[in-house]
Amino acid sequence: MKPIVVKDVEFSYNGERILENVSFSVDEGEFVAIMGPNGSGKTTLLKLILGLLKPKRGKIEVLNLNPWESREKIQNYIGFMPQKEHISSKFPILVKDVVLLGKAARKKFSKLTKDDEEKAKEALRAVGLEDYWLKRFNELSGGQQQRVLLARALAVEPKILLLDEPFNGVDIPSQDKIVELMDELARKGVTIMMVVHNINPLLHHIHKIVLLNKRLIAFGSPFEVLTAEKMVETYGSSIPIIVCEEGYAHPLFGDTHG
Amino acid sequence: MDSFATSILSQPYILRSILAIILIAINASVTGSFTIFRNVSFLVAGASHAALAGAALAIVLGMYGIINLNPIVGGAIFAVFTALAAGYAAKDEGINTAIAISFAMSMSLAILFISMIREYAARVWGLLMGDLFLLTDYDLVLMTISTLFVIIVAIIFYREFLFVSFDMEGALAYGINATFVNYLLLTIIAISVVVMLKGVGAILVFAMFVAPAAAANEVARKISDVFILAFIIAALSGFFGIFVSFYAEISPGAIAALLASLIYFLSVAFKKFQKFQKIG
Ligand SMILES: Nc1ncnc2c1ncn2[C@@H]1O[C@H](COP(=O)(O)OP(=O)(O)OP(=O)(O)O)[C@@H](O)[C@H]1O
Ligand SMILES: [Mg+2]
Repeated sequence: MKPIVVKDVEFSYNGERILENVSFSVDEGEFVAIMGPNGSGKTTLLKLILGLLKPKRGKIEVLNLNPWESREKIQNYIGFMPQKEHISSKFPILVKDVVLLGKAARKKFSKLTKDDEEKAKEALRAVGLEDYWLKRFNELSGGQQQRVLLARALAVEPKILLLDEPFNGVDIPSQDKIVELMDELARKGVTIMMVVHNINPLLHHIHKIVLLNKRLIAFGSPFEVLTAEKMVETYGSSIPIIVCEEGYAHPLFGDTHG
Repeated sequence: MDSFATSILSQPYILRSILAIILIAINASVTGSFTIFRNVSFLVAGASHAALAGAALAIVLGMYGIINLNPIVGGAIFAVFTALAAGYAAKDEGINTAIAISFAMSMSLAILFISMIREYAARVWGLLMGDLFLLTDYDLVLMTISTLFVIIVAIIFYREFLFVSFDMEGALAYGINATFVNYLLLTIIAISVVVMLKGVGAILVFAMFVAPAAAANEVARKISDVFILAFIIAALSGFFGIFVSFYAEISPGAIAALLASLIYFLSVAFKKFQKFQKIG
């Protein structure tokens, strides 16, 4: 069974077509990156998979279910991390409460157990913030807040992780640590889709890439997808590509001196 | 002249005003805090002025014998409607613009209706200014019932309200019926606003509703502290207002609102000072 299947999907906001002809499928335990310029429909794609939006045409299956019709069911298996721009933290919510929010909502806010707390602490440890359990969320740095939101997604012990730009503002060592964690989760069978702008920190770890620009430009292994041609097709300008010792093609965004 | 303490017992209007302040402080704490968390303080101004229009309309309808509606109930209906309309127009972005427009609209309607009811207009103006000393037993009963309703909803939906205030998208993704929860939250905020209306008036509702929770939010270390502090600030400001106006003939609501706003600015300054000390 493929946990995520997207077939000929089309989507519009108020008549403006945002996605068309998107087809791909993801295997269990695959780690997939989604790339594309701003406004190319990456977040929209994640929301379609989550069942928050209804495709105008085509078919989506998540764990063999139609996410739009069985939203509650599939959401029980998904850990989601939204893009941080959409978060307001003007009030003194504690890190611990943020991490537990997802789990608590899942349980319809019935009492959380010691085990739930342990899981939440473990998730926070996984993103390297175990000492921040009782800190105020709005007093953390942007990158730290980002990692807390990742911990919230991990704390529900998902079968599928959907992460929208988890690396924004996150320092390089923490990024590396998170990538390693994803690697480990994928090996345990968790299916991961992650929106990123800079693919390089995870290039050696991912299995597939979805290249988007309002339509599917390419889907496949990094070797198939990261070609000069496809980058031009996606980003509208040529992006230099450097092949590293291990044979991976690294696109050099904004780093033309490399 | 009697002392303040003996008058509390001998003068029912003072007792009533004290009860009203306690009810107002509960609303300032429960829904006031969520107003700050959800970042919709402007909704308070929108809903209170919509309530004016609603009250005026209720009087117009009564005047022409169409339907006999208590002005406060008319006000509540309008306030809730405005909150829902603003929530709908805004989805989760730009809600303040939507509120501003509905604010303008309800003010126009209020003036329009008031111009139709010249001889009764004083009743509506009473809602604009409010008067803690003119509350009737009936007003207090209405205020108590509404406050109880608001408290019960807030307790049942406490975590949903927090989640939706924190991030709408996350709430949706983790299985919360965020649209419903959002409308429910806006509704109880509107109801709370109307609870306060008779006591402090549409002009001052904003200060009494938003300032205590905003001040509490600046200094509180955790969420429960915001609710507790907001209650204390609102109650103290209210009691102080009543106390002062017992001796000097000034509007108690104005004194209370002034004090609450002052406390807000003091707590912002306090927060800044704390940060400064940490750095220095
Ligand atoms: N709620 C909405 N209503 C109308 N249009 C929207 C809405 N959300 C997104 N869009 C539009 O859909 C397009 C795709 O948006 P989306 O958020 O999926 O892009 P993205 O690839 O995630 O971009 P970014 O890199 O900036 O996050 C954009 O043109 C955007 O303006
Ligand atoms: Mg996006």
